[in-house]
Amino acid sequence: MIALLMAHKEASAELLQHVQGFIYPNELNLLWSVLIVLYPYLTGLVAGAFIMASLERVFNVKSLKPIYRLSMLTSLAFLLVAPLPLLGHLGHPERCYEVMMTPHATSPMAIFGFVYAWYLMAVLLLELWFDYRKDFVEWSQTAAGWKRPLYSLLTLGVRDVSEKALRLDDKMGRIITIIGIPSAFLLHGYVGFIFGSVKANPWWGTVLMPIIFIFSAMVSGIALLMFLYLVTCWLRKVTVDMTCLETIGKCLLTALVVDFSVEALDWIHRLYVADESLDVLVLLASGKLYYSLFLVQMFLGMLVPALCLAAMIVYKEGWKRRQTAYFVCSLLVLIGILAMRWNVVIGGQLFSKSLRGFTTYKLELVGQEGLLMAILLVLLPFVIVSVMIWLFLPRAEMTGTTRAIDD
Amino acid sequence: MPPQITRLLLVTVAIVVAYFTARHFLVPASFGQYGWYRADALKDYQLLPINYAGQAACADCHEEVIKKRAKAKHRSIACETCHGPLYAHANDPTVKPAKVGNGNFCVRCHEAAPARPEKFPQVVLADHNPGQKCTECHAPHLPTEAP
Amino acid sequence: MKSSQQSVSRRGVLSALGKLVAGAAALATARKVRAVTKQAVTTPAPAGYDPTKHQWRMALDVNKCIGCGSCADACKNENHVPRDPGYFRTWVERYIIKKAPHGSGEPCGETLVDSPNGSIGGFPPTLVPKSEILKAFHVPKLCNQCSNSPCDMACPVGATFRTPDGAVLVDPTYCIGCGFCVQACPYGCRFINPLSHTAEKCTFCYHRITRGLKPACAEVCPTGTRIFGDLKNAKPDDPLLQFYAKNRLQVLKPHLGTLPRVFYAGLDEEAR
Repeated sequence: MIALLMAHKEASAELLQHVQGFIYPNELNLLWSVLIVLYPYLTGLVAGAFIMASLERVFNVKSLKPIYRLSMLTSLAFLLVAPLPLLGHLGHPERCYEVMMTPHATSPMAIFGFVYAWYLMAVLLLELWFDYRKDFVEWSQTAAGWKRPLYSLLTLGVRDVSEKALRLDDKMGRIITIIGIPSAFLLHGYVGFIFGSVKANPWWGTVLMPIIFIFSAMVSGIALLMFLYLVTCWLRKVTVDMTCLETIGKCLLTALVVDFSVEALDWIHRLYVADESLDVLVLLASGKLYYSLFLVQMFLGMLVPALCLAAMIVYKEGWKRRQTAYFVCSLLVLIGILAMRWNVVIGGQLFSKSLRGFTTYKLELVGQEGLLMAILLVLLPFVIVSVMIWLFLPRAEMTGTTRAIDD
Repeated sequence: MPPQITRLLLVTVAIVVAYFTARHFLVPASFGQYGWYRADALKDYQLLPINYAGQAACADCHEEVIKKRAKAKHRSIACETCHGPLYAHANDPTVKPAKVGNGNFCVRCHEAAPARPEKFPQVVLADHNPGQKCTECHAPHLPTEAP
Repeated sequence: MKSSQQSVSRRGVLSALGKLVAGAAALATARKVRAVTKQAVTTPAPAGYDPTKHQWRMALDVNKCIGCGSCADACKNENHVPRDPGYFRTWVERYIIKKAPHGSGEPCGETLVDSPNGSIGGFPPTLVPKSEILKAFHVPKLCNQCSNSPCDMACPVGATFRTPDGAVLVDPTYCIGCGFCVQACPYGCRFINPLSHTAEKCTFCYHRITRGLKPACAEVCPTGTRIFGDLKNAKPDDPLLQFYAKNRLQVLKPHLGTLPRVFYAGLDEEAR
């Protein structure tokens, strides 16, 4: 105990060396670490991936059919991991049940448990179940080994696959998707509200925050699907449906433009209104956040992929080169949005609420809130989604539903 | 009713029942007495031990010091401002309080500094008998007199 | 400055909205809370202290503070706050406002603020020569025990709360350590204790005031900068009422609408 306290004291003394200007004494140790950066990142990917799935289902964008099930499974895999960074950051993770037992009505964070449960159970699982029910019944008779009881269990004992029952499945799936779209907006808009509602922090406390979060979520979710679709096809040696890929590309470009506009609006408003916080925020953006904001988030994560995607609408040559370009764009966007979450979460804690100075953040390598943990938490949903693809998205189905273009 | 819907309704009911059962057992007994919190937390706070005894406790035994100070500007200052936390001593006089400074404790308040109120008595240490201890000329409880 | 009506209505609307969201769960809760209340009223509070019969307040006279740091030191002693430059329930800031360069046409120059180790052990001599200083002063800081407290609103589980007697407390056995309250406090008054991993803040020394003692900081303040009292049991000559009557009062960051219950006299606009 005393040793721990001494170690802390040394760390604080070290931090004090890096403080610029004046900060309130309690602001020395930056509180929300890289794990809280991942939380909105992962949640955003969930919401974005779901909205892509709903485009096919509700708005009848037929060219997106090849990625419908992939989107749903991706959304589920990332949703399962999304609360883990939060949990890992809690001082007392063993008390987390209190959020569900005595949720404080005025706290945006308290509603998390309910929004999460609603989205997981009333939207994702339910829609997947109605969509997969016929397959579960079929696979529970044809699959081999331990997979057979698994599929059987997933039918929940309902084995009716008559035409009437399947029609109901389809109808229910459509209704749930329609409910799902506002739910996806709610899920991520509310994550934005957690930050946007903090009036103590001028970097976070803006009404645009939920909107910015929703559009950045769509950007990242679409990019993720582009990435996963390409990787899955390449690994399985399935021909990439170029019509589908082009449509994803156009969606990504649209979302990027809207996202950029909303963020630009935020900055225009800040600069024009010029309240007492402007000076320190300009110092923050041009100083501590310079590389992560202008270079990674704006230039590499937004401008470069947007120009590249726009160029690909005009020049339509070389499907192989196009695939590579789309792949690079999706990666850049994914990194750019991660930088955006970093700039919001860490950036918002680097400056003092006295608006007179800055503290610093040192990302540790190991430890509960270290870099390795963060990498693990980013890789985990990809592992889960791989297992899900293996279990629920047979190769035969992918080739079956794709209308392949062979150049 | 279609079998899918019946099955899902059953699952829903099971989840809701499980939630309210959990609530019944997991919400602390005094939660909600005054507001959205555990009212017993107030009692927990009241039971925390104290370290500073308070001026009244000092006056119980040290009347002569209080009397001496009555003439001094220092009369309104609590004993524990300079002598530190004394609850242990007040409870058991054999526990001796820590010694106050080494004769220069006065500078903590009386060293001249631009942020101090102008009318507050301050000395520039370099000009005011440098090298001497404050207590050589000033009795701490009645500083206008020599010890 | 302290329109209690505004706070009531805003909170009312918010909690009403929240209740709508909670829906059926809230109904069941209300029933349960009533049952709990009935049971708890029959069990007497220890030492016979009734929180509904008091209303504690602190006020600060900035003109009197000498920056000795006794308050910050006593607070750590009394409440076992980690002896570390990053954790304080109360601290003192030093403001030094320089003269504007001659002929610049500005009223004042640069403002320098510091609070080395929260003022414990006093302030080192300033490096600014006296001839360049326009004015200088100390501002003691502590939790403002806001009546529209953003930290209380942010707490997801009901571990932070406003007591009936005017304090904002944290229940350390119920806090999950999410840190949302720390982010929500505009005054930097909260921190997560590195040992207990729960949120911590000034409690007005709740364990002392319920025993009839002053908070440790007010007890040891040598200049009477910190004035503490009980509004529900104050006589007309109570120092706190006298202070309210004789001074123009200010609060910190009034534009945020947190309605602080700690009032200052003699605050400069640079202090925030």
